[in-house]
Amino acid sequence: MADGKLQLVLVTPEKTLLNEPADSLKFPLFDGLIGVYPSRAPMVGRLGFGELVIRSSAGDKSFYIDGGFAQVKGKVVSILTNDATTLDGIDTAALKTELAEISEQAATTDADQETKTNRINRIRTMLKLAR
Amino acid sequence: MANARALVKRLKSVKNIRKITRTMELIATARFKKAMDRATEAAAYTKKISEIVADLSQVDLKFSHPLLEQRENPKKVNLLVLTSNRGLCGGYNGGVLRQAVPRLKEISDNEDQSLEVEVAGKRGIAFLKFQGYEFDRSYTNFEDQPKFSEIEPIAQRYIDGFISGEIDRVEVAYTKFESAGKQTAMLETLLPIGDLMTDTGEDDGEGRNVDYEFLPSAQEILEEIVPAAFKARLFKCFLDAAVSEQIARMVAMKGATENAGDMIRDLSQKYNRARQSQITSELSEIIGGAAALE
Repeated sequence: MADGKLQLVLVTPEKTLLNEPADSLKFPLFDGLIGVYPSRAPMVGRLGFGELVIRSSAGDKSFYIDGGFAQVKGKVVSILTNDATTLDGIDTAALKTELAEISEQAATTDADQETKTNRINRIRTMLKLAR
Repeated sequence: MANARALVKRLKSVKNIRKITRTMELIATARFKKAMDRATEAAAYTKKISEIVADLSQVDLKFSHPLLEQRENPKKVNLLVLTSNRGLCGGYNGGVLRQAVPRLKEISDNEDQSLEVEVAGKRGIAFLKFQGYEFDRSYTNFEDQPKFSEIEPIAQRYIDGFISGEIDRVEVAYTKFESAGKQTAMLETLLPIGDLMTDTGEDDGEGRNVDYEFLPSAQEILEEIVPAAFKARLFKCFLDAAVSEQIARMVAMKGATENAGDMIRDLSQKYNRARQSQITSELSEIIGGAAALE
Protein backbone atom coordinates (compact mmCIF):
# COMPACT_ATOMS: atom_id res chain seq x y z
CA MET A 1 0.00 0.00 0.00
CA ALA A 2 2.68 2.34 -1.05
CA ASP A 3 0.40 5.09 -2.31
CA GLY A 4 -2.22 4.55 0.34
CA LYS A 5 -4.99 4.40 -2.20
CA LEU A 6 -7.81 2.04 -2.84
CA GLN A 7 -8.16 0.22 -6.12
CA LEU A 8 -11.80 0.10 -7.08
CA VAL A 9 -13.04 -2.64 -9.40
CA LEU A 10 -16.66 -2.21 -10.41
CA VAL A 11 -18.00 -5.28 -12.20
CA THR A 12 -21.39 -6.08 -13.69
CA PRO A 13 -22.23 -9.42 -15.31
CA GLU A 14 -21.70 -7.79 -18.68
CA LYS A 15 -18.46 -5.94 -18.22
CA THR A 16 -15.92 -4.34 -15.96
CA LEU A 17 -17.03 -0.74 -15.71
CA LEU A 18 -14.21 0.69 -13.66
CA ASN A 19 -10.81 -0.34 -12.54
CA GLU A 20 -9.16 2.69 -11.09
CA PRO A 21 -7.62 4.12 -7.94
CA ALA A 22 -9.77 5.97 -5.43
CA ASP A 23 -9.21 7.81 -2.16
CA SER A 24 -12.40 6.71 -0.52
CA LEU A 25 -15.68 5.04 -1.33
CA LYS A 26 -19.19 5.22 -0.08
CA PHE A 27 -21.81 2.67 -1.04
CA PRO A 28 -25.01 1.14 0.28
CA LEU A 29 -24.90 -2.17 2.10
CA PHE A 30 -28.04 -4.14 2.81
CA ASP A 31 -28.78 -2.10 5.92
CA GLY A 32 -27.28 1.30 5.22
CA LEU A 33 -24.35 3.22 3.87
CA ILE A 34 -20.78 2.15 4.44
CA GLY A 35 -17.66 4.16 3.89
CA VAL A 36 -14.38 2.55 2.92
CA TYR A 37 -11.00 4.16 3.38
CA PRO A 38 -7.60 2.66 2.56
CA SER A 39 -6.36 -0.04 4.96
CA ARG A 40 -9.82 -1.20 5.84
CA ALA A 41 -10.06 -4.69 7.32
CA PRO A 42 -11.01 -7.39 4.79
CA MET A 43 -14.73 -7.62 4.29
CA VAL A 44 -17.38 -9.32 2.20
CA GLY A 45 -20.74 -7.61 2.26
CA ARG A 46 -24.10 -7.75 0.62
CA LEU A 47 -25.08 -4.60 -1.23
CA GLY A 48 -28.37 -2.79 -1.24
CA PHE A 49 -29.46 -0.35 -3.90
CA GLY A 50 -28.38 3.25 -3.98
CA GLU A 51 -25.54 5.55 -4.80
CA LEU A 52 -21.91 4.58 -5.04
CA VAL A 53 -19.66 7.57 -4.53
CA ILE A 54 -16.06 7.34 -5.59
CA ARG A 55 -13.83 10.06 -4.23
CA SER A 56 -10.49 10.51 -5.89
CA SER A 57 -8.07 13.28 -6.78
CA ALA A 58 -9.78 13.59 -10.15
CA GLY A 59 -13.04 14.52 -8.44
CA ASP A 60 -16.11 12.66 -7.33
CA LYS A 61 -17.91 10.08 -9.39
CA SER A 62 -21.30 8.63 -8.74
CA PHE A 63 -23.07 5.51 -9.90
CA TYR A 64 -26.37 3.95 -9.12
CA ILE A 65 -25.82 0.33 -8.11
CA ASP A 66 -28.48 -2.30 -7.79
CA GLY A 67 -27.65 -4.99 -5.27
CA GLY A 68 -24.80 -7.48 -5.42
CA PHE A 69 -21.68 -7.93 -3.32
CA ALA A 70 -18.70 -5.98 -2.18
CA GLN A 71 -15.36 -7.45 -1.31
CA VAL A 72 -12.53 -5.61 0.36
CA LYS A 73 -9.23 -7.40 0.27
CA GLY A 74 -6.02 -5.51 0.84
CA LYS A 75 -6.36 -2.33 -1.13
CA VAL A 76 -8.62 -3.83 -3.76
CA VAL A 77 -12.32 -3.15 -3.40
CA SER A 78 -14.43 -5.23 -5.75
CA ILE A 79 -18.02 -4.29 -6.25
CA LEU A 80 -20.12 -6.86 -8.04
CA THR A 81 -23.49 -5.57 -8.98
CA ASN A 82 -26.27 -6.57 -11.33
CA ASP A 83 -26.60 -3.16 -12.78
CA ALA A 84 -24.60 0.03 -12.50
CA THR A 85 -25.58 3.22 -14.27
CA THR A 86 -24.26 6.72 -14.12
CA LEU A 87 -26.68 9.12 -12.52
CA ASP A 88 -27.28 10.93 -15.82
CA GLY A 89 -28.16 7.64 -17.41
CA ILE A 90 -31.24 7.09 -15.27
CA ASP A 91 -34.39 7.24 -17.34
CA THR A 92 -36.71 9.28 -15.14
CA ALA A 93 -39.75 9.16 -17.38
CA ALA A 94 -39.70 5.37 -17.67
CA LEU A 95 -39.24 5.04 -13.93
CA LYS A 96 -42.19 7.29 -13.19
CA THR A 97 -44.52 5.23 -15.34
CA GLU A 98 -43.17 2.06 -13.72
CA LEU A 99 -43.75 3.54 -10.29
CA ALA A 100 -47.30 4.43 -11.21
CA GLU A 101 -47.89 0.92 -12.52
CA ILE A 102 -46.54 -0.75 -9.42
CA SER A 103 -48.51 1.54 -7.13
CA GLU A 104 -51.67 0.51 -8.98
CA GLN A 105 -51.11 -3.20 -8.39
CA ALA A 106 -52.87 -4.65 -5.40
CA ALA A 107 -50.73 -6.82 -3.14
CA THR A 108 -52.73 -9.64 -1.64
CA THR A 109 -50.18 -11.51 0.44
CA ASP A 110 -47.46 -10.41 2.80
CA ALA A 111 -44.78 -11.54 0.38
CA ASP A 112 -46.40 -9.57 -2.41
CA GLN A 113 -46.55 -6.54 -0.22
CA GLU A 114 -42.90 -6.89 0.59
CA THR A 115 -41.81 -7.14 -3.05
CA LYS A 116 -44.05 -4.21 -3.87
CA THR A 117 -42.54 -2.05 -1.15
CA ASN A 118 -39.06 -3.08 -2.21
CA ARG A 119 -39.67 -2.19 -5.81
CA ILE A 120 -41.23 1.13 -4.91
CA ASN A 121 -38.33 1.99 -2.62
CA ARG A 122 -35.88 1.05 -5.33
CA ILE A 123 -37.51 3.27 -7.90
CA ARG A 124 -37.83 6.15 -5.45
CA THR A 125 -34.14 5.91 -4.64
CA MET A 126 -33.31 5.98 -8.33
CA LEU A 127 -35.58 8.97 -8.91
CA LYS A 128 -34.01 10.79 -6.02
CA LEU A 129 -30.53 10.20 -7.42
CA ALA A 130 -31.38 10.99 -11.03
CA ARG A 131 -29.95 14.15 -12.44
CA MET B 1 -24.19 -21.82 -78.97
CA ALA B 2 -26.37 -22.45 -75.96
CA ASN B 3 -23.71 -24.14 -73.91
CA ALA B 4 -21.42 -21.14 -73.69
CA ARG B 5 -24.28 -18.84 -72.87
CA ALA B 6 -25.55 -21.12 -70.09
CA LEU B 7 -22.05 -21.21 -68.66
CA VAL B 8 -21.86 -17.41 -68.64
CA LYS B 9 -25.10 -17.23 -66.73
CA ARG B 10 -23.95 -19.75 -64.18
CA LEU B 11 -20.60 -18.05 -63.83
CA LYS B 12 -22.33 -14.78 -63.05
CA SER B 13 -24.54 -16.28 -60.38
CA VAL B 14 -21.63 -18.06 -58.72
CA LYS B 15 -19.71 -14.79 -58.66
CA ASN B 16 -22.64 -13.10 -56.99
CA ILE B 17 -22.88 -15.85 -54.42
CA ARG B 18 -19.21 -15.50 -53.68
CA LYS B 19 -19.69 -11.80 -53.07
CA ILE B 20 -22.44 -12.53 -50.59
CA THR B 21 -20.59 -15.25 -48.73
CA ARG B 22 -17.45 -13.18 -48.51
CA THR B 23 -19.39 -10.26 -47.05
CA MET B 24 -21.08 -12.55 -44.57
CA GLU B 25 -17.73 -13.91 -43.55
CA LEU B 26 -16.45 -10.41 -42.88
CA ILE B 27 -19.56 -9.49 -40.91
CA ALA B 28 -19.31 -12.67 -38.88
CA THR B 29 -15.67 -11.92 -38.12
CA ALA B 30 -16.53 -8.45 -36.85
CA ARG B 31 -19.41 -9.78 -34.77
CA PHE B 32 -17.29 -12.58 -33.43
CA LYS B 33 -14.74 -10.09 -32.16
CA LYS B 34 -17.43 -8.05 -30.44
CA ALA B 35 -19.10 -11.09 -28.92
CA MET B 36 -15.73 -12.41 -27.84
CA ASP B 37 -14.90 -9.14 -26.08
CA ARG B 38 -18.18 -9.27 -24.25
CA ALA B 39 -17.58 -12.84 -23.19
CA THR B 40 -14.13 -11.97 -21.86
CA GLU B 41 -15.48 -8.99 -19.98
CA ALA B 42 -18.25 -11.07 -18.48
CA ALA B 43 -15.69 -13.58 -17.29
CA ALA B 44 -14.46 -11.01 -14.74
CA TYR B 45 -17.76 -11.20 -12.91
CA THR B 46 -17.80 -15.00 -12.78
CA LYS B 47 -14.23 -14.96 -11.58
CA LYS B 48 -15.01 -12.56 -8.75
CA ILE B 49 -18.04 -14.60 -7.73
CA SER B 50 -15.92 -17.73 -7.59
CA GLU B 51 -13.37 -15.85 -5.58
CA ILE B 52 -15.95 -14.89 -2.98
CA VAL B 53 -17.27 -18.46 -2.95
CA ALA B 54 -13.74 -19.69 -2.37
CA ASP B 55 -13.40 -17.17 0.45
CA LEU B 56 -16.63 -18.38 1.94
CA SER B 57 -15.45 -21.96 1.85
CA GLN B 58 -12.58 -20.94 4.11
CA VAL B 59 -15.09 -20.21 6.78
CA ASP B 60 -16.43 -23.13 8.69
CA LEU B 61 -19.76 -23.12 6.99
CA LYS B 62 -22.14 -25.76 5.86
CA PHE B 63 -22.76 -25.29 2.18
CA SER B 64 -26.45 -25.79 2.04
CA HIS B 65 -28.77 -23.96 -0.23
CA PRO B 66 -31.96 -25.04 -1.97
CA LEU B 67 -30.29 -24.58 -5.35
CA LEU B 68 -27.44 -26.91 -4.41
CA GLU B 69 -29.72 -29.70 -3.28
CA GLN B 70 -29.57 -32.79 -5.49
CA ARG B 71 -32.97 -34.34 -5.99
CA GLU B 72 -33.40 -38.05 -6.50
CA ASN B 73 -35.59 -39.04 -9.44
CA PRO B 74 -36.07 -35.62 -10.91
CA LYS B 75 -39.62 -35.54 -12.21
CA LYS B 76 -39.97 -32.19 -13.84
CA VAL B 77 -37.15 -31.39 -16.15
CA ASN B 78 -36.71 -28.11 -17.91
CA LEU B 79 -34.73 -28.20 -21.12
CA LEU B 80 -33.51 -24.97 -22.65
CA VAL B 81 -32.23 -25.20 -26.21
CA LEU B 82 -30.07 -22.36 -27.48
CA THR B 83 -29.97 -22.09 -31.26
CA SER B 84 -29.44 -19.21 -33.63
CA ASN B 85 -31.97 -16.95 -35.27
CA ARG B 86 -30.26 -17.09 -38.63
CA GLY B 87 -29.00 -19.87 -40.78
CA LEU B 88 -25.88 -20.19 -42.93
CA CYS B 89 -23.74 -21.15 -39.99
CA GLY B 90 -22.72 -24.67 -40.91
CA GLY B 91 -23.35 -27.39 -38.39
CA TYR B 92 -23.98 -25.04 -35.51
CA ASN B 93 -27.71 -25.59 -35.04
CA GLY B 94 -27.51 -29.21 -36.10
CA GLY B 95 -24.97 -29.89 -33.38
CA VAL B 96 -27.09 -28.38 -30.64
CA LEU B 97 -30.25 -30.11 -31.81
CA ARG B 98 -28.47 -33.45 -32.03
CA GLN B 99 -27.77 -33.06 -28.33
CA ALA B 100 -31.23 -31.87 -27.45
CA VAL B 101 -33.46 -34.25 -29.40
CA PRO B 102 -32.25 -37.57 -27.89
CA ARG B 103 -32.63 -36.08 -24.43
CA LEU B 104 -36.08 -34.82 -25.36
CA LYS B 105 -37.07 -38.30 -26.51
CA GLU B 106 -35.58 -39.95 -23.47
CA ILE B 107 -37.55 -37.81 -21.06
CA SER B 108 -40.81 -37.90 -22.96
CA ASP B 109 -40.58 -41.71 -23.22
CA ASN B 110 -40.12 -41.95 -19.48
CA GLU B 111 -43.54 -41.81 -17.91
CA ASP B 112 -42.32 -40.69 -14.49
CA GLN B 113 -40.82 -37.54 -15.87
CA SER B 114 -42.44 -34.52 -17.33
CA LEU B 115 -40.67 -32.12 -19.57
CA GLU B 116 -40.83 -28.46 -20.26
CA VAL B 117 -38.97 -27.32 -23.32
CA GLU B 118 -37.83 -23.80 -24.03
CA VAL B 119 -36.18 -22.83 -27.27
CA ALA B 120 -34.23 -19.73 -28.15
CA GLY B 121 -33.63 -18.97 -31.81
CA LYS B 122 -35.80 -19.25 -34.89
CA ARG B 123 -33.82 -22.16 -36.28
CA GLY B 124 -34.49 -24.40 -33.31
CA ILE B 125 -38.13 -23.34 -33.19
CA ALA B 126 -38.63 -24.21 -36.86
CA PHE B 127 -36.88 -27.54 -36.47
CA LEU B 128 -38.83 -28.67 -33.43
CA LYS B 129 -42.11 -27.57 -34.97
CA PHE B 130 -41.32 -29.52 -38.10
CA GLN B 131 -40.42 -32.60 -36.10
CA GLY B 132 -43.67 -32.31 -34.21
CA TYR B 133 -42.26 -31.60 -30.77
CA GLU B 134 -44.11 -29.25 -28.54
CA PHE B 135 -42.40 -26.58 -26.58
CA ASP B 136 -43.60 -24.31 -23.86
CA ARG B 137 -41.70 -21.13 -24.45
CA SER B 138 -39.65 -19.68 -27.21
CA TYR B 139 -37.40 -16.67 -27.50
CA THR B 140 -36.23 -14.95 -30.63
CA ASN B 141 -34.82 -11.82 -29.05
CA PHE B 142 -31.29 -13.09 -28.47
CA GLU B 143 -28.85 -12.03 -31.13
CA ASP B 144 -25.10 -11.85 -31.01
CA GLN B 145 -25.08 -9.62 -27.94
CA PRO B 146 -27.40 -11.01 -25.30
CA LYS B 147 -28.05 -8.60 -22.44
CA PHE B 148 -27.94 -9.61 -18.82
CA SER B 149 -31.18 -7.75 -18.17
CA GLU B 150 -32.90 -10.02 -20.71
CA ILE B 151 -31.57 -13.20 -19.21
CA GLU B 152 -32.05 -12.33 -15.58
CA PRO B 153 -35.86 -12.76 -15.61
CA ILE B 154 -35.45 -16.23 -17.15
CA ALA B 155 -32.88 -17.16 -14.53
CA GLN B 156 -35.10 -15.80 -11.78
CA ARG B 157 -38.01 -17.89 -13.03
CA TYR B 158 -35.86 -21.02 -12.90
CA ILE B 159 -34.70 -20.18 -9.41
CA ASP B 160 -38.24 -19.58 -8.16
CA GLY B 161 -39.49 -22.71 -9.91
CA PHE B 162 -36.71 -24.83 -8.51
CA ILE B 163 -37.17 -23.63 -4.95
CA SER B 164 -40.94 -24.07 -5.04
CA GLY B 165 -40.51 -27.56 -6.49
CA GLU B 166 -42.10 -26.85 -9.86
CA ILE B 167 -38.82 -27.69 -11.56
CA ASP B 168 -36.48 -30.44 -10.42
CA ARG B 169 -33.78 -29.97 -12.95
CA VAL B 170 -32.71 -27.39 -15.49
CA GLU B 171 -30.67 -28.47 -18.48
CA VAL B 172 -29.29 -26.37 -21.28
CA ALA B 173 -28.33 -27.58 -24.72
CA TYR B 174 -25.90 -25.11 -26.22
CA THR B 175 -22.53 -24.76 -27.87
CA LYS B 176 -19.79 -24.29 -25.37
CA PHE B 177 -16.98 -22.05 -26.38
CA GLU B 178 -13.71 -23.65 -25.39
CA SER B 179 -11.31 -21.76 -27.61
CA ALA B 180 -11.41 -19.92 -30.90
CA GLY B 181 -10.63 -23.24 -32.56
CA LYS B 182 -12.91 -25.51 -30.61
CA GLN B 183 -16.58 -25.28 -29.73
CA THR B 184 -18.59 -28.24 -28.56
CA ALA B 185 -22.32 -28.67 -28.61
CA MET B 186 -23.27 -30.09 -25.25
CA LEU B 187 -25.95 -30.69 -22.69
CA GLU B 188 -25.26 -29.12 -19.33
CA THR B 189 -27.17 -29.38 -16.09
CA LEU B 190 -27.41 -25.95 -14.51
CA LEU B 191 -29.76 -26.71 -11.66
CA PRO B 192 -29.19 -28.19 -9.16
CA ILE B 193 -25.78 -26.58 -9.14
CA GLY B 194 -23.39 -29.50 -8.98
CA ASP B 195 -20.30 -27.80 -7.75
CA LEU B 196 -20.01 -24.13 -7.06
CA MET B 197 -16.27 -24.24 -7.27
CA THR B 198 -15.94 -25.76 -10.74
CA ASP B 199 -15.21 -22.54 -12.52
CA THR B 200 -12.94 -21.07 -9.91
CA GLY B 201 -10.38 -20.88 -12.65
CA GLU B 202 -6.78 -20.33 -11.73
CA ASP B 203 -6.16 -19.93 -8.07
CA ASP B 204 -4.07 -16.85 -7.58
CA GLY B 205 -2.65 -18.52 -4.52
CA GLU B 206 -2.40 -15.36 -2.50
CA GLY B 207 -4.46 -14.20 0.38
CA ARG B 208 -6.55 -17.35 0.68
CA ASN B 209 -6.32 -17.08 4.42
CA VAL B 210 -7.68 -13.60 4.71
CA ASP B 211 -9.84 -13.22 7.76
CA TYR B 212 -12.95 -11.58 6.40
CA GLU B 213 -15.60 -9.68 8.12
CA PHE B 214 -18.92 -10.84 6.68
CA LEU B 215 -21.78 -8.40 6.55
CA PRO B 216 -24.40 -9.46 7.52
CA SER B 217 -23.10 -13.04 7.93
CA ALA B 218 -21.34 -15.70 5.90
CA GLN B 219 -24.53 -17.72 5.71
CA GLU B 220 -26.56 -14.85 4.30
CA ILE B 221 -23.88 -13.98 1.79
CA LEU B 222 -23.96 -17.57 0.64
CA GLU B 223 -27.71 -17.45 0.26
CA GLU B 224 -27.36 -14.45 -1.98
CA ILE B 225 -24.37 -15.58 -3.92
CA VAL B 226 -25.71 -18.94 -5.05
CA PRO B 227 -28.49 -17.42 -7.17
CA ALA B 228 -26.04 -14.81 -8.44
CA ALA B 229 -23.66 -17.57 -9.48
CA PHE B 230 -26.47 -19.39 -11.25
CA LYS B 231 -27.50 -16.26 -13.13
CA ALA B 232 -23.93 -15.65 -14.17
CA ARG B 233 -23.69 -19.22 -15.43
CA LEU B 234 -26.86 -19.02 -17.45
CA PHE B 235 -25.64 -15.74 -18.89
CA LYS B 236 -22.37 -17.38 -19.79
CA CYS B 237 -24.26 -20.08 -21.71
CA PHE B 238 -25.94 -17.41 -23.81
CA LEU B 239 -22.66 -15.60 -24.39
CA ASP B 240 -20.90 -18.82 -25.34
CA ALA B 241 -23.68 -19.68 -27.74
CA ALA B 242 -23.44 -16.24 -29.34
CA VAL B 243 -19.68 -16.45 -29.78
CA SER B 244 -19.84 -19.99 -31.11
CA GLU B 245 -22.53 -19.05 -33.59
CA GLN B 246 -20.36 -16.32 -35.07
CA ILE B 247 -17.37 -18.64 -35.29
CA ALA B 248 -19.48 -21.32 -36.96
CA ARG B 249 -20.78 -18.81 -39.46
CA MET B 250 -17.30 -17.46 -40.11
CA VAL B 251 -15.95 -20.93 -40.83
CA ALA B 252 -18.93 -21.93 -42.96
CA MET B 253 -18.76 -18.77 -45.02
CA LYS B 254 -15.01 -19.06 -45.48
CA GLY B 255 -15.56 -22.55 -46.87
CA ALA B 256 -18.36 -21.32 -49.11
CA THR B 257 -16.25 -18.48 -50.47
CA GLU B 258 -13.36 -20.81 -51.24
CA ASN B 259 -15.69 -23.27 -52.86
CA ALA B 260 -17.23 -20.55 -54.99
CA GLY B 261 -13.75 -19.52 -56.06
CA ASP B 262 -13.00 -23.08 -57.17
CA MET B 263 -16.26 -23.25 -59.07
CA ILE B 264 -15.53 -19.98 -60.83
CA ARG B 265 -12.16 -21.25 -61.96
CA ASP B 266 -13.72 -24.45 -63.21
CA LEU B 267 -16.59 -22.73 -64.96
CA SER B 268 -14.45 -20.11 -66.69
CA GLN B 269 -12.19 -22.86 -67.99
CA LYS B 270 -15.22 -24.70 -69.35
CA TYR B 271 -16.56 -21.51 -70.85
CA ASN B 272 -13.26 -20.72 -72.60
CA ARG B 273 -13.17 -24.22 -74.02
CA ALA B 274 -16.73 -23.99 -75.24
CA ARG B 275 -16.06 -20.64 -76.83
CA GLN B 276 -12.89 -21.88 -78.48
CA SER B 277 -14.58 -24.94 -79.90
CA GLN B 278 -17.37 -22.74 -81.18
CA ILE B 279 -14.85 -20.52 -83.00
CA THR B 280 -13.02 -23.55 -84.36
CA SER B 281 -16.17 -25.10 -85.68
CA GLU B 282 -17.24 -21.80 -87.29
CA LEU B 283 -13.82 -21.43 -88.91
CA SER B 284 -13.88 -24.95 -90.28
CA GLU B 285 -17.39 -24.32 -91.60
CA ILE B 286 -16.17 -21.22 -93.46
CA ILE B 287 -13.10 -23.00 -94.82
CA GLY B 288 -15.26 -25.97 -95.82
CA GLY B 289 -17.72 -23.62 -97.55
CA ALA B 290 -14.91 -21.79 -99.41
CA ALA B 291 -13.37 -25.10 -100.50
CA ALA B 292 -16.73 -26.26 -101.84
CA LEU B 293 -17.03 -23.12 -103.99
CA GLU B 294 -13.68 -23.60 -105.75
